[in-house]
Amino acid sequence: MKWVLYEKLRAATAAGISAALVTRLADGAQSFFDGERWEGALEVSAEQRAQARRMLVADKSGVLPGEEGLFVRSYARAPRLIVVGAAHISQFLAPMATLAGFEVTVIDPRSAFASTARFPGVTLLDGWPDEALDALRLDATSAVVTLTHDPKLDDPALIAALQSPAFYIGALGSTRTHAKRVARLTEAGFGDGLARIHAPVGLDLGGRAPREIAVSILAQVIQVRYRGGAQRDSDGKLGR
Amino acid sequence: MSSLEIYHAAIKVLAEAGTGHGRLEAPDGQALIDNPLCGDRVEMEVAISGARIARLAHRVRGCLLCRAAAAAIGARAVGANAEEIGRVATQLAAMLEADEAPGAGWEGGWAELGAFVPVRGHRSRYGCVLLPFKSLLAALRAGGS
Repeated sequence: MKWVLYEKLRAATAAGISAALVTRLADGAQSFFDGERWEGALEVSAEQRAQARRMLVADKSGVLPGEEGLFVRSYARAPRLIVVGAAHISQFLAPMATLAGFEVTVIDPRSAFASTARFPGVTLLDGWPDEALDALRLDATSAVVTLTHDPKLDDPALIAALQSPAFYIGALGSTRTHAKRVARLTEAGFGDGLARIHAPVGLDLGGRAPREIAVSILAQVIQVRYRGGAQRDSDGKLGR
Repeated sequence: MSSLEIYHAAIKVLAEAGTGHGRLEAPDGQALIDNPLCGDRVEMEVAISGARIARLAHRVRGCLLCRAAAAAIGARAVGANAEEIGRVATQLAAMLEADEAPGAGWEGGWAELGAFVPVRGHRSRYGCVLLPFKSLLAALRAGGS
């Protein structure tokens, strides 16, 4: 391995960023890939990048489909779920996701809601969502879901998430609420990539209770992690 | 009254002007006050000269009402002392609570505050309007005024 690639991988790991090393088996040429930056000797197609990204998101290693023999070795941290909004749903989602193997962080500047009494054992941040998300350095194995019920807090969180390589972005709210949100974010200049947002959030399991919505969100996060965004399979850039 | 009416044009203009937004080089007093129920937070910095506000700067993370109130402060508060700011805040709170706008006009000519009349009756939003004043008063106290 080239020293410079080793250094990149070491720095990413030290910073808690999931990354992969991609090797062409025929000649040993290599590249570093963290889901965003692709650096090194290999030149690949957008489709190959998307495939490598899906392997990194799922923390899988192996050879990519095709003739070229590109081996992806993923060095992924535990997947992260960042819940924006210390809401009722979050009180169920946080422990469920922890049990499912996610490192869970709950962000809410409303300290009346974000209390350790309501979220025992969960990492709580009381900063504004965009500032807190920037500090967390979202990576390709991060999922973000907004549940504050307040656009003043959800919108900055979504903008920060859209600027990251997070594999999953979900936002609570009805189809109508989401249409208004899309209009606001488009007007604010963040129209690109809005299709990455899963809304209404969660798989349609039929349940409406907060604990059931928590299950549907967690199920969707896991589904997207391993299968990519369901309605986004035709577009290699989105939802992966 | 619909909740949309409290976001009428005058409030939007005031909020978007953001008068006073920024930082001071070496503030004499500063304060960061938040509303634990809605997450709004207002950071105020003041330079004090002869017990009066010589300069001020604020940074607001919050709703339109909170940003508009901070902008009104940015436009009017320089030159006032803590006592005068306290009276304006009291007058504003009374205006929100009562049916009448201040009969004798606004203390120190703070005419912008008339824009908050439609907030009346939206009790949960009074805190949004008053938070920048609380933060300014705290900054003045921290600066010894």
